[in-house]
Amino acid sequence: MTEPTLQARTETAAPTWKPQIAAIVCNWCTYAGADMAGTTRREYPASVRLLRVPCSGRVNPLFILKAFEQGADGVLVSGCHPGDCHYVQGNYFARRRFAAFRSLLNFLGLDPRRVHFSWISASEGIKWARVVGDVTRAVTEAGPLTDWGRASSPAQVTLPEPPAPRPQPAAAELEAVTGHVRELAASLLREGKVSFVLGWAPGPSPGQTIPAFIQRPEDAATLVFDTHSHADLAAFLAGPRKVSGKVAVLVKACDARAATTLLAEGQLVREDVVLVGVSCPGMWRDDRLAYRCHSCDGEVGALCDFTVSAAGVQPGALPTGAKRATGPDPRDLQNAHLESLPAAQRWAFWQEQFADCVRCYACRAVCPMCYCGSCISEQHRPQWVPTSIDGRGNTAWNLVRAYHLSGRCVGCDECERVCPANIRLDLINRRLALELEQRFDYHAGTDPEGAPPLATFRPDDPQEFIY
Amino acid sequence: MGTPSAGQIHRLGRDQLASWVDALLGERKRVFAPVLRRGLRVLRAVERAQDVDFAPGRTRWSPKEFLFPRTETLFSYENRDGVPVLADPPADDVPRILFGVQPCDAAGLVRLDSILLQDPFYARRRELTTVVAIACSEAAPECFCTAVGGSPAGQEGVDVLLAPLETGWVVRALSPKGEALLAPRRGGWETAAAGDWEAALEQAGRVAGSIGRRELPAAWAEKLEQSFADPIWDELARRCVGCSICAYVCPSCSCFDVADEGSDACGSRCRTWDSCSFRLFTQHGSGHNPRATQPARSRQRVLHKFAFYPLQHGGRAMCVGCGRCIRSCPVGMDIHAEVVEVMSGRPEKEAGDVQR
Amino acid sequence: MSSAETAAGPARAAAGTAGPLESPLKPRLMRIVEAWDETPDVRSLRLQPVDDGPPVRWLPGQFGEFSVFGAGEAVFTMANSPSRGEFVECGFRALGKVTWALRDLAVGQVIGYRGPYGNSFPVDSWRGKDLVFIGGGIGTVALRAPLQWVLDHRGDFGEIVVLNGARSVADLCYQKEMPAWAEVPGVHVVRTVDPGGETPGWDGEVGLLPAVFERLGLAPGGRIVVTCGPPVMLHYLFQSLEKLKFPPEDVVTTLENKMKCGLGLCGRCNVGRLFVCVDGPVFTWARMQTLPRDY
Ligand SMILES: Cc1cc2nc3c(=O)[nH]c(=O)nc-3n(C[C@H](O)[C@H](O)[C@H](O)COP(=O)(O)OP(=O)(O)OC[C@H]3O[C@@H](n4cnc5c(N)ncnc54)[C@H](O)[C@@H]3O)c2cc1C
Ligand code: SF4
Ligand code: SF4
Ligand code: SF4
Ligand code: SF4
Ligand code: FES
Repeated sequence: MTEPTLQARTETAAPTWKPQIAAIVCNWCTYAGADMAGTTRREYPASVRLLRVPCSGRVNPLFILKAFEQGADGVLVSGCHPGDCHYVQGNYFARRRFAAFRSLLNFLGLDPRRVHFSWISASEGIKWARVVGDVTRAVTEAGPLTDWGRASSPAQVTLPEPPAPRPQPAAAELEAVTGHVRELAASLLREGKVSFVLGWAPGPSPGQTIPAFIQRPEDAATLVFDTHSHADLAAFLAGPRKVSGKVAVLVKACDARAATTLLAEGQLVREDVVLVGVSCPGMWRDDRLAYRCHSCDGEVGALCDFTVSAAGVQPGALPTGAKRATGPDPRDLQNAHLESLPAAQRWAFWQEQFADCVRCYACRAVCPMCYCGSCISEQHRPQWVPTSIDGRGNTAWNLVRAYHLSGRCVGCDECERVCPANIRLDLINRRLALELEQRFDYHAGTDPEGAPPLATFRPDDPQEFIY
Repeated sequence: MGTPSAGQIHRLGRDQLASWVDALLGERKRVFAPVLRRGLRVLRAVERAQDVDFAPGRTRWSPKEFLFPRTETLFSYENRDGVPVLADPPADDVPRILFGVQPCDAAGLVRLDSILLQDPFYARRRELTTVVAIACSEAAPECFCTAVGGSPAGQEGVDVLLAPLETGWVVRALSPKGEALLAPRRGGWETAAAGDWEAALEQAGRVAGSIGRRELPAAWAEKLEQSFADPIWDELARRCVGCSICAYVCPSCSCFDVADEGSDACGSRCRTWDSCSFRLFTQHGSGHNPRATQPARSRQRVLHKFAFYPLQHGGRAMCVGCGRCIRSCPVGMDIHAEVVEVMSGRPEKEAGDVQR
Repeated sequence: MSSAETAAGPARAAAGTAGPLESPLKPRLMRIVEAWDETPDVRSLRLQPVDDGPPVRWLPGQFGEFSVFGAGEAVFTMANSPSRGEFVECGFRALGKVTWALRDLAVGQVIGYRGPYGNSFPVDSWRGKDLVFIGGGIGTVALRAPLQWVLDHRGDFGEIVVLNGARSVADLCYQKEMPAWAEVPGVHVVRTVDPGGETPGWDGEVGLLPAVFERLGLAPGGRIVVTCGPPVMLHYLFQSLEKLKFPPEDVVTTLENKMKCGLGLCGRCNVGRLFVCVDGPVFTWARMQTLPRDY
């Protein structure tokens, strides 16, 4: 509706059509290489528009998003070979970011023939001509990009639904945990160890719990722990939602991973917070075990100051003996199904989901990792995320959100739970998390001291996707 | 109007309701009705009656988006030799029917009218829209229409009211628009039996009785307004995470943003839903923000609906008690409970128990 | 456009024919006929309609929505008095998306304008009275229209004091115009900069505006105070005014809540029962005191 360029281009997709390709190239190597190709009159297709940046490390992957949004049919990003970066390390960092963003685009079903990466040095005019030729051929085959921000045909995808591996835990067990939680909360407050206890309390809808900020020992009696204690309370530990003063926060295993990542990212001072791990039997969504809980052993991790289980309160983390058997993760199962489909169908699937996004930003608002004081969606010079609630704006937002959480998301699935449009954000997060685990051996939320994977690099990081 | 049987109440069998929807579609009317889609119950333009879900219960989003779209183009612009040329969006004059909405949603449109009828785009769509509501046969735990002057068989903003009977429906036009919609059908429809309408109302009365939430009297508005600086708001709204679900699911929230989409060469100026829960909503260019904290923003939503608006609009709250915001809030903010709680802390406490 | 549009043909007949509608938010095209810098970051524009329709009309204190196509709209007060010719002037500080885009435009380029919106300064009720204009930083822009009006109807008003302040000498608006204001009989212009903001050779006052105002020793005595400035300045100025026993009814200012529509529709400028875009932006201090602190 608000996309005149795209519309005009759709209509002119005639036989004479030539692709528009944005080539984002670094000044020192590839630009010089392209320049050389030009001065030596080596032929290469004129369909490419060069965007010169100082370094491939300056290439925010969102440039790629912007290029597509503005009507490019394909994008090529190119910089100096590893080891040759004018700024020493820029391309190493870039390589990791490209890997993450590319895997996101692939997963969402953007035709892989549209996005390319290369290392081209100042002396490689010939390589430049060849790469541009290859890229142009690939993008020409892919054809005009007409479905950015919309599904061109109904996706018709049904995701496999795994059986529940176990019944809900006995009420008595949960009541026992609740009792111990209340006692601990009351005593922490009474002894003045904290000024708030963050826990869960019954909400206005039946069976619902909501975050509760307990300030007085006698109010600790309103706390509950059950199979609907969904909220990841680590979201209140950093950024604009941060609760001031010393707080004790109840964490399930997934929430503890969030707290761990906050520590790793320097957003949390360990001494400012008392982490109370709660032995978690899994959370239930309607009548099914939450997907993330299938593969979770319930262990709160070594970080906790206290652990509460049906047996009582104990200082420190839960002994490994309490580990629960885990099964395959339904999100992986569903992703495998999605990835078995043709890319175009997957693209339609995600576009149908994004079309329903209302840009309420609840996904951001509940995410413990979304702590920025001013989100990129609130910045408009440049305007990365169009304001309009339509396919283009929604696609931009969902890409930005997912990418910014890659390697950071701990898989608490809160964003997916609260999304009023039922968008399967959990699947996207999960796919990216696995990509980063496999590539960089990084497991978000396990190491309070480890550098986030996109904030570091190894010279021998895999680069099979780069020409 | 003008048919001999105008004003008559009819009784429809289940299939007749569906064939009515199909007939409307056949007349090239746009019909928005509840459908099940991706696990959500939403109002969508339907192509055949078969897709309509006539079961009771609210839809995730209110019908407001069909009159006040999430985003709409106000005009487009194109730079021609340095001079912008502006063009109005094409007219869309298809008559449309909101079919099977809840009575509270119809009342929500009346709230929107009080603000947005000034806007010709909204006004045109409103004029083209006929509202066919279905009386509620059950109330959800978050519902409180009766607390704000509505009812499960509410008639405010309703052109045609459908109410479920044990076998089928009773149908009644409540406005000239409704009469016009029913007129071509009357010949083929059975007249309701004596007592059908009363039975339907009685059923609605039972539903009303099942709503456990207390009345929020219009007389509270002034005292609520005085609660503006009360620290209780900080406590009540501490957990609000500042998304905008509450405003976007609400049938009566009407705030919007205006922004350009496109480049300086061409594009359009668009109006897009916005919400007082967002920090940027009120933040000045200089950085100063009158509502600097989330509780301050949360307070605005409650006071706008229950104090500022009613004090300017004859006492009616800008809330119809649909319960959507309560149901969909990630942290269970309960606007009804908030009002009650603030009032229970006011010195001149109303008589009567303050229950949820 | 969409398939829904093509279906509109036959159905349109059913609803009666009606053409496209025009949004009240659609602006009129105005050409920049003059542009100059007041300070390093404040720029003034003089605008004239591109079409030859009726001239633009407004009252001192009213505002408009000025837009750069592709960047969006920004609210500025009309900076000149309607008694000064057929053009509109605005003065703005470049601080964000629209204002920076506007700053990049040159004389001859075309922007959007819609308005006038809001109420205006009650200039008629000031007749025969002494006036004090107190402007801080960019706030002075909002005072220029009523000041020009008053100067253009000099005989109708009593003694006039203009207190124009800024952080530093460079940031002081209307330096070129102030001498002309001061030349009008019975007009006293005081320039001031914040401590530390003075430059060698600065011959104006040094001090925060409220303090400088107090030093002027002006007594209430029916004097009308017209002021505009950043929230902190107003906060302290009101303290000074209270100390000096100025009646709140005689102090007039403007509120600058964030605005989008200017028509009381978008909900953004809501303060209590009022919408600043319709019920304001001009408020007496007395009326402000009846409002919730939401500005
Ligand atoms: C009555 C009144 C009179 C005024 N008079 C003057 C005057 O005479 N001179 C003057 O200089 N100033 C004046 N102002 C202030 C002026 O309106 C603002 O400084 C100006 O609007 C800033 O515009 P901007 O686009 O440059 O600022 P920005 O801070 O860039 O904001 C631009 C707009 O974009 C919006 N925005 C922010 N982020 C996003 C996003 N991610 N997506 C979409 N939109 C976004 C903001 O909400 C804002 O509305 C006045 C204000 C009022 C209310
Ligand atoms: S929560 Fe869902 S609807 Fe809201 S912004 Fe996020 S993805 Fe969009
Ligand atoms: S992105 Fe979603 S799943 Fe990941 S940490 Fe944030 S809220 Fe949890
Ligand atoms: S009240 Fe709930 S839905 Fe509304 S902004 Fe706050 S958290 Fe979001
Ligand atoms: S405020 Fe909540 S309950 Fe009231 S009408 Fe809006 S969504 Fe419904
Ligand atoms: S600016 Fe839109 S209501 Fe005031």
